[in-house]
Amino acid sequence: MKTWITIIFSGLLLSAHASAGIVEEKDCGSCHRLHPEDAEKVFTAPDLHYAGNKFQPKWLKQFLKNPEVIRPAGFITNSGFSQIANLSPHSSYTEQEANTLTDILMDLKISTLSPVTSEPLSKGLRAKIKYQFERTFGCISCHQSLNLAGKVRGGISGPSLVNAGNRLQAEWVAGWLNDPEVYMVKGRMPRYKMDPTTLSQFTRFIMTLKKENIK
Amino acid sequence: MTNRKHLLAGIILLTILTTACEQSKQATSTVRPPTKEEVTKTIPQNTQPELAQVTEGTRQTYQWYCTQCHGIKGKGDGINAKFLTVPPRNHTKAQYLETRTDEQLFQAIKFGGLSVGRAPCMPAWGETLDDDIIQSLVQYIRELCQCEAL
Ligand code: HEC
Ligand code: HEC
Ligand code: HEC
Repeated sequence: MKTWITIIFSGLLLSAHASAGIVEEKDCGSCHRLHPEDAEKVFTAPDLHYAGNKFQPKWLKQFLKNPEVIRPAGFITNSGFSQIANLSPHSSYTEQEANTLTDILMDLKISTLSPVTSEPLSKGLRAKIKYQFERTFGCISCHQSLNLAGKVRGGISGPSLVNAGNRLQAEWVAGWLNDPEVYMVKGRMPRYKMDPTTLSQFTRFIMTLKKENIK
Repeated sequence: MTNRKHLLAGIILLTILTTACEQSKQATSTVRPPTKEEVTKTIPQNTQPELAQVTEGTRQTYQWYCTQCHGIKGKGDGINAKFLTVPPRNHTKAQYLETRTDEQLFQAIKFGGLSVGRAPCMPAWGETLDDDIIQSLVQYIRELCQCEAL
């Protein structure tokens, strides 16, 4: 009995050790925030200390093996929001590294999110929210998304939402729209006070955006 | 009920009158930009925007939020500018800004472009910034254009 516990325990310790190892070895923490405690430091890449709340594991694995551009203007830290010059592509990792990194990242959580409905939007509702996304709220001014013809459209100061449906967890999107301060002390996106119905519809709309739909 | 109808008519009118940010032809008018009534109701009675002070905080707020479209110097050349169908207003051009009152600029910032018959690509900042800071942003824009309402 005792030995079993010891074995399991050291196994856990070992794997925790190996995990920490790869993150350190690859130096993810030199650009990304991995712990909520590092709130003071200024980072040059998006926060990952809540990666397990935000991303879909399948997308994460794919991204680490074969990175795609999410912020066409780069990750902007300077207050002037100036034009970012040369954007270097993200490092890519092997299948095995990507698997391990994904497991580690999916364990990084800061909140428990309320479940949301994944019921797809009816065609009419989708058209309505698309219209609001572009006009009432002007989301398109800062975010790329897909137009009716399946072409990429929109501003670049915010992360691209073209592949949001594969990339983000619906619960996280709803959480972000409801209270972004939970994840970011001070962002550059305007606050929107959406009623629960609108919020749910926006979340479901964003989850329909997938890069397979680019024409 | 009649109130509702008025509201709807107002919204439809606004929708028709304004240019879209991103052309899309469907006109599902379920939109809810602030109505005239709401706008006038929410504007503080005694605006006196000419008294608002431009502080370091005003400039930082402009740099943090507004430059993404209006550009660092307010010339309308922020990083989103070339992706918008209606260009962000150049805040250094007196010729246009002289024709707008401080109240109109206040409304545009607080409730978004749609509320003053301008394009929806100018988002509403009323849930993000308080009235005082919006007043001071109006004055900052007056500094940028070195102009007053005629
Ligand atoms: C040289 C700095 C740097 C290092 C080192 C680095 N990254 Fe990144 N990473 C970035 C930048 C910059 C972005 C934003 C890319 C974009 O938005 O297109 C990014 C994006 C990401 C994203 C997507 C985040 C989001 O919110 O869209 C993930 C996941 C990620 N990195 C994981 C990792 C992991 C895991 C490691 C270590 C194995 C790592 N990164 C190492 C700079 C770095
Ligand atoms: C003025 C520009 C602007 C507008 C308008 C805007 N956003 Fe954003 N959005 C941003 C920026 C910048 C970020 C990155 C976080 C930050 O700095 O706030 C962001 C982040 C997001 C994210 C998280 C994406 C990620 O991968 O981290 C979602 C989802 C989102 N916005 C949806 C919306 C929706 C829906 C609307 C309209 C209701 C909208 N945004 C309007 C600028 C904008
Ligand atoms: C997402 C892009 C975007 C952001 C961010 C943005 N604006 Fe604008 N703004 C626009 C566009 C586009 C117009 C032009 C609208 C038109 O002419 O129809 C505009 C117009 C204006 C106008 C003129 C309105 C009028 O009466 O013609 C003012 C004033 C203004 N913006 C102030 C601001 C301030 C202050 C901020 C920051 C708090 C800001 N804007 C942030 C896009 C933006």
